[in-house]
Amino acid sequence: MAKSYLISLQVFSGAARIVQCHGKVQSCDCTLTASSSGSRSSSSSTALGKTVDNAQVTQEEIVLPRRKTWDKLAVLQTLASTVNKDPTAAHYMFQDDPFLMPRNAANSRLYSLSKESGRNAAKYIIKNFPQYFDKTFAEPNIPCLMPESLTPQTEGVSEEALRERIHLRMVKESVDMFDQLLQGGTPVSLETTNSLLDLLCFYGDGEPTPENEQEEKEDLEEPEVNASEQKAPKRQFERGSQSSGPRWRENNHAERIFKIMPERNAHSYCTMIRGMVKHGAYSKAYDMYIDLLNERHKADVHTFNALIRAAPYLKERFTERWELAKDFLTHMAQQKVQPTLLTFNSVLKSLRRCGGVGRTMSLLVLKEMEALDIEPSLASYGHLLSMYYKGVDAQSSDIISEVLDEVEKRSFTAQDPDDASFFTTAMQVCCDLKDIKLAYQLNKALEKGDNWKFLDVNQLNSYWSKFFSLLCMMEQIEVVLKWYREMSSSLFYPGPKNILDLLQALDAANQLEVIPSVWEDVKQLGFSRRRDLLEEFLSLMSRDQHPSEIQLAFAKCAEEIKAVHEPAGPAQVPLEWTGSALGHVVVLFSRAGRIQDAWNMMEHFQKINRIPTDKVMDEFLNCAKQTNCPDEAIKMVKLAASLGLLSSQRLKSRTEEEFELSETQKKALESIKWDGDSSDSDSDSSDSDRE
Amino acid sequence: MLSKDKDKSVASKESTPEGAAKRQEDGAGTPKQQLLDIIGNMKVEVSYRKKLQQLKASESKKQAMNELEGLDSEGSVPQGITEDTQRGKPLNPELVKAASAVASSLPHNKKQTVSELLAQLRRHEETTDKQKKGGTVNIRNVISEMTVKRQSSAQRGARISGRFSLQLDEDGQRTRPARSSAQSVDSRRSLKVGKRLNIFTKASTEPEHALKTVSSPTIWDLEFAKEVAAVTAQPPRNGFEEMIQWTKEGILWEFPIDNEVGMEDDAEFHEHIFLEKHLEGFPKEGPIRHFMELVICGLSKNPYLSVKQKVEHIEWFQKYFEEKKELLQEI
Repeated sequence: MAKSYLISLQVFSGAARIVQCHGKVQSCDCTLTASSSGSRSSSSSTALGKTVDNAQVTQEEIVLPRRKTWDKLAVLQTLASTVNKDPTAAHYMFQDDPFLMPRNAANSRLYSLSKESGRNAAKYIIKNFPQYFDKTFAEPNIPCLMPESLTPQTEGVSEEALRERIHLRMVKESVDMFDQLLQGGTPVSLETTNSLLDLLCFYGDGEPTPENEQEEKEDLEEPEVNASEQKAPKRQFERGSQSSGPRWRENNHAERIFKIMPERNAHSYCTMIRGMVKHGAYSKAYDMYIDLLNERHKADVHTFNALIRAAPYLKERFTERWELAKDFLTHMAQQKVQPTLLTFNSVLKSLRRCGGVGRTMSLLVLKEMEALDIEPSLASYGHLLSMYYKGVDAQSSDIISEVLDEVEKRSFTAQDPDDASFFTTAMQVCCDLKDIKLAYQLNKALEKGDNWKFLDVNQLNSYWSKFFSLLCMMEQIEVVLKWYREMSSSLFYPGPKNILDLLQALDAANQLEVIPSVWEDVKQLGFSRRRDLLEEFLSLMSRDQHPSEIQLAFAKCAEEIKAVHEPAGPAQVPLEWTGSALGHVVVLFSRAGRIQDAWNMMEHFQKINRIPTDKVMDEFLNCAKQTNCPDEAIKMVKLAASLGLLSSQRLKSRTEEEFELSETQKKALESIKWDGDSSDSDSDSSDSDRE
Repeated sequence: MLSKDKDKSVASKESTPEGAAKRQEDGAGTPKQQLLDIIGNMKVEVSYRKKLQQLKASESKKQAMNELEGLDSEGSVPQGITEDTQRGKPLNPELVKAASAVASSLPHNKKQTVSELLAQLRRHEETTDKQKKGGTVNIRNVISEMTVKRQSSAQRGARISGRFSLQLDEDGQRTRPARSSAQSVDSRRSLKVGKRLNIFTKASTEPEHALKTVSSPTIWDLEFAKEVAAVTAQPPRNGFEEMIQWTKEGILWEFPIDNEVGMEDDAEFHEHIFLEKHLEGFPKEGPIRHFMELVICGLSKNPYLSVKQKVEHIEWFQKYFEEKKELLQEI
């Protein structure tokens, strides 16, 4: 170990230079670690210059710091903290082959799920064929990659064997072993029976299926969802709002074993209550609790939490639900069971189903938590927000701004499974309140410390999607575009609604020239076949006249949209044209001077049995005039006449006035009849043409 | 003190007008729309200082008039409620004078205006009293609040739907109590101020809890811990985080790399290399010694044997040569 030396210093007048001489004596450790670590010895010892006068000698003790020990992750964590967000890259888990990067939200979900399922497949193979994986190449051996043995070692019927099976979570075998033991006459100890009850109550009499540790929790199948033959019929008092997990079956193994137990302690009752609440048998749980009280046992805090969660299902009216929950709390206080954060979170969760009563009481609950020095977790705030901001009518933003003030100060750790939904709930509330400042504050809270971990990949997408919609509504277009460029494809994948919002924002800010680039993004996102988006694009592009480059760009977009509607390739089903879409495309082509394309589109009108509007036909005429194609104009007038449109007369006169018509053309124009007989007029005009 | 009270009271009696005035400054609308806004949004938190400032800033008396119109119809019930919960001290005479001054400046029924304003004042003073005391829960208050609130939430739909037709008659009478009490509850709706449940007492250091035996975690605890850990278990965002995850699982070497990880060797390096001390049983010179030195050299370079095994080797040789000693000496 390093010994510290007393070093005498000489302080000079003027410049006080402290000269340090480091010296260390160490016992020679055979581990040969260079232990001059902690103290970075700057062995720059400057020469001592002495002045005779003003020499003061001071004694100062230099304590050499001890060698710091870093834990194994410190270096990596420091390095990880230097990596900032790259706005151009997708999530790390997709960075493999650029072709395989997901382009929209559905794909991203699909790819991440497929990655996870690949891992699960590998685990499955190792678990089921361990005989092929017995060679250990790695030195030192990596135990987590080796197959684990899940078969019980102890054979025979004994309490040891029972305990082992319980430990390995083999539900059916444990129950069988227990029954065998009882039939054989060996008494099973209370503790073992209790752990068996734990197992049964947790899994609700079903088998644990292999757990899928996925990031996407929506797909997370709970381990208790078991084979259908074990599914229980619904109890009559349930509201049917519980969706997950099997129901508690009447007289299932847990109840049976509970009944035949010679002696029961508080733990037995508690675990039964917890199991019943978990699987939806709420009134049974309440009866069990009454039994527990009659037996003068003391319930533990988890049982009380479960009972409080069950309270809304036991009573109908809001006040009664709250009264019941309050009763449980008073029992807790009487039995000197200390409430924890989870207790209060359960109270808040129950208060969510208590309407107005719940709203008032929730604040009191928060004050109680404060009085007991229990810090609220994100779940508490989440429940509070859902209580106060249910429904879409405009409400005051007091509660949420206070909540956000609290949240942005701390970096939270997960303490309650309901913590995960806080951020999405809060963002939803911000969107309902249409308050962009609160949303910015929420984002700041998200960046603090470890708070980003509370949003998983799917929730991230919906969170940022909502934020973007709010941005489009409330912020200036430059800010919106900046966020759009930074966020798409790295933070979130815009959905169709986001694109519509963006288009509206562009429209409001009169920056329609950005539309072609948005169209490019839409193509990449794979929304190019969505009718609502196409309508919006076309109507915005064709609404006003624009300078010519923009018009050309618009026409290119229109062409691509046209391509969507046509059969392309074997698998593609072409979209059906709508009248308005077709009209817009004609207008866009016309304005860009592409008369031939415009005429092709005009011919489509008859195919889909629609009539072009006046505006469309006027634009077409304008284009014909600009490109000096009177033939096209005449063709169009014929078309209008054949469709029997009222404006055909006007169009005809317009054609006559504005165009330089040759004799044949004039005659053709004259010969167009207006009412009825389209075939006659056609034949007439064709005759006149041949002349 | 007096002036402060007066300011507060002035602010408080103008609280609803101020809330509405603020909103009216924000959004233009017809007077009727403004009135409807007030009725619909009775949740503006009363912040006295802010309201006072706004009072000084706003000038339109007309707005105040409109609000008082609304205040008129709801004035009846606040009196009812104040009758329930009696106040100890009467109102400040200055306030009464101020109220009558306001009433006289307005063209409405003066007496009614005065009584309503005073009732409103009384209610606000009562509120401040209660909060000042940091009030203990009066269970009656809690219950009365609860029932009234229920009414309000039930009537809320009626309120919103009746937005475009001001029903000042029976419906109005019925919605008023809910609204005004809702207003009083909402005005206090904040995470900072408020009462607590008073069910639990803070547990000071309890020795019996420390003595409680901590049993091994049950399946409930284990599964709950797993569930909670899964909340924040996100996939790694960059290569370093992936390496952190692998290190935690044990797949990756731990940095700084210690190349003796996994090796249990309780002997130090010099015991492996410097093996001459085991040669003491052998003669100091001669072919045997030579041979044994070569053996030692080879053993010292052997990384696969443990010290014990090496010593056993040397001892085997020793035994061997002992046995053959007689044979050798014959030679």
